[in-house]
Amino acid sequence: MDFKLTDEHVKLRKEFFNVCEELAKKRPEGFTGLEGCYDTDEGWAYHLDCAKVFAKRGWLTLGWPEEYGGQGTIMDKVFMSEATGYYDVPGVDIFGVDMLAPTLHATASQEIKREFLPSIASGERMWCELWSEPNAGSDLAALSTSAVRQGDEYVINGQKIWSTGAHRAHWAFALVRTDPNADRKQKGITFLLFDMKTPGVTVNPILYMDGGHLYNEVFLDDVRVPVKNVVGEENQGWGVTQTLAAFERSNLGAIMGMHRQIEELVNYCNETKVKGEPLAKNPLIRSRLAKAACDLWAAHALAYRIVDAQSRNEMAAFDASAVKVFSGELQARMAQLGTEILGPYGQVKHSRWALFEGFFEKWYQQSFILNVAMGTNEIQRNIISWYGLGLPRMK
Amino acid sequence: MDITFTEEQEMLRKSAGDFLTAECPKTKARELEEDEKGYSPELWQKMAGLGWMGLAIPEEYEGMGMTFQDLTVLLEAMGNNVLPGPFSCTVVGGAFAIIEAGTAEQKKDLLPRIANGEAILTTALLEPGSTCYDASGVNLKATAQGDNFVLSGTKVFVEMANVADYMICAARTKEGSSDEDGISLFIVDAKAPGISCEVIPTIAFDKLCEVRFENVAVPKKNMLGEMDKGWPIMQSIMQKGAIAKSAESVGGMQASVDMTVAYCKDRVQYDRPIGAFQALQHIMADMWIITQTSKYLVYQAAWMESEGLPCAMEVAMAKAYVNENYKWVTERAVSLHGGIGTSREHDTGLYYRRAKAADTAFGDTDFQRELVAKKIGLIS
Repeated sequence: MDFKLTDEHVKLRKEFFNVCEELAKKRPEGFTGLEGCYDTDEGWAYHLDCAKVFAKRGWLTLGWPEEYGGQGTIMDKVFMSEATGYYDVPGVDIFGVDMLAPTLHATASQEIKREFLPSIASGERMWCELWSEPNAGSDLAALSTSAVRQGDEYVINGQKIWSTGAHRAHWAFALVRTDPNADRKQKGITFLLFDMKTPGVTVNPILYMDGGHLYNEVFLDDVRVPVKNVVGEENQGWGVTQTLAAFERSNLGAIMGMHRQIEELVNYCNETKVKGEPLAKNPLIRSRLAKAACDLWAAHALAYRIVDAQSRNEMAAFDASAVKVFSGELQARMAQLGTEILGPYGQVKHSRWALFEGFFEKWYQQSFILNVAMGTNEIQRNIISWYGLGLPRMK
Repeated sequence: MDITFTEEQEMLRKSAGDFLTAECPKTKARELEEDEKGYSPELWQKMAGLGWMGLAIPEEYEGMGMTFQDLTVLLEAMGNNVLPGPFSCTVVGGAFAIIEAGTAEQKKDLLPRIANGEAILTTALLEPGSTCYDASGVNLKATAQGDNFVLSGTKVFVEMANVADYMICAARTKEGSSDEDGISLFIVDAKAPGISCEVIPTIAFDKLCEVRFENVAVPKKNMLGEMDKGWPIMQSIMQKGAIAKSAESVGGMQASVDMTVAYCKDRVQYDRPIGAFQALQHIMADMWIITQTSKYLVYQAAWMESEGLPCAMEVAMAKAYVNENYKWVTERAVSLHGGIGTSREHDTGLYYRRAKAADTAFGDTDFQRELVAKKIGLIS
């Protein structure tokens, strides 16, 4: 067992960190996380600008096959997420780059790949995911948005919900029901792509609890999509969504973000005096920050093990569930700790009274994004129970 | 980076697991709790025959020359099976201290005997009134007299001192400029005149002893390391001990998860295995997640220690994290077993009690967290 990165890896990792450090200097005030990308025009422009910088370096195609302009391995992708996570820098479209591109590589036809991969690589086209529906959340296969074939087109009708960034994204990848009579609900689903400007697409905001515009509901009324935009085969869309093997699942982005948060809290406690004594000398504060650091390093060690397993194609889905649950819930605890250390200022939004531009106030709320999205943590625990521990599923 | 066990380590894991399951079933572990010695000399000899005591001792001293990391693989298997006895205190506390700080003569004398299972060693650090593993607690006096030092004072929680042949004892040889300065270590013959030993009844019946020293003469040549400068050696022993204890603990965590999952698949209530209830599934999922994170945190610390990288922070983190989580996982294990889990005859309680014992050894959570607090940069 050997945790050492090669010298080459260390050098490469440093390069990612250097570039992100520079990009972080151009960050709009108060910018953080996914909501930062989608909520304001400045945030969105910053996201696109960072994407262009990464594209120029070929960093949006890490791990892709060479014929599509790819370079590097999953390790590069890991270092990249560590760097963007540490500096809280956007630019990597989680939908286009992280989810759709690996899916296309694994399942799509040459035509689809040639048509859609270049604009992901160049950072010009941003994507959103139209999967969840009001009655199909954790039970995603229960989705009912219908797609009826008419000649060379599908006519789509239905409603999608919790669509992150749909109000800004250029294109969408959607799951729709093409065969309502299939014997299993997982059958008869099709994975397809369309332009968000297609007539019949209506996007309404669902504001997050902090007032930010991240989520949307999307109404699809007689939306016409060419049949050639299907990824994989008609009615085989569920299988297309299961090509998770190629996704980077370590959560190291979030984990590196927390390293930064601990560093900042340590600095704050060293510099802030209460009754003439630095906060850092308060034994309760010391113990709580140390505990958070222990939890964080534990997450980090497991994340590296996930990366290692993934790079040798030995990662099970439930392995990734473990790090997702642990690091997501740790982010929630970290945000709570941050707000508590800041005392009454922990509740202050980005303003002249705020500390850290309201970062912890924001993450006190936004940490749910990590724990609800991509399969809630309750679903992840089911996955671990059933597939990892072999416990029986209740009928 | 290659975060998998080597082929050699896998073999060690497997063969140690098989050996211990056959030779030291849990009934035997419980029997040994009631045993006066607290270990089985017969089993000890078999382990020596497998080369376990000498696993990480250099070949020139009749060991196998494997690494500290390899040793932690074995310790994890031992923790998985709750093997009672003086293995860790002999090998981690004893052998490594001598390898690191011993004279050529000390090495030649002791290491082969340890490797061959002929000598049991332990470390005597804590004293009445000291509750944590820092230098301020060392007050046992050692005074030079001719060719000897004369030791007087009392040590407590000395592991397996009841059967030890030698104790590595921390003593104060001068009032130094700091707590750390003026501590010397001695390799003390545990049967020397003036030593008396009494077993303290503890939660894991693991033979932690009170050892009284009344004018015990120790030859000067038995000093380990330099005069007055013994504390860094003791710190190194404690650091390795903390990793070793954490490795045993993650073995115990995995055993507790396995036992609980197996029980919940088997136990039927309301016409179905109770493991089908999500209320219990999610607890077991959490037990597994926490065991996973614990393991890799410990593996990383063990790797760093083995590579000679500075890792005081990583070790303190691993120990603090595992302290809390071994207790949590075993508490959940007992709970999910219901009534039977609370009985003396059941194995879950064995692990639950061991988790408490492991927690205090080599520094409890508060102690470790304070080390971490300093290392992450909080001023003190």
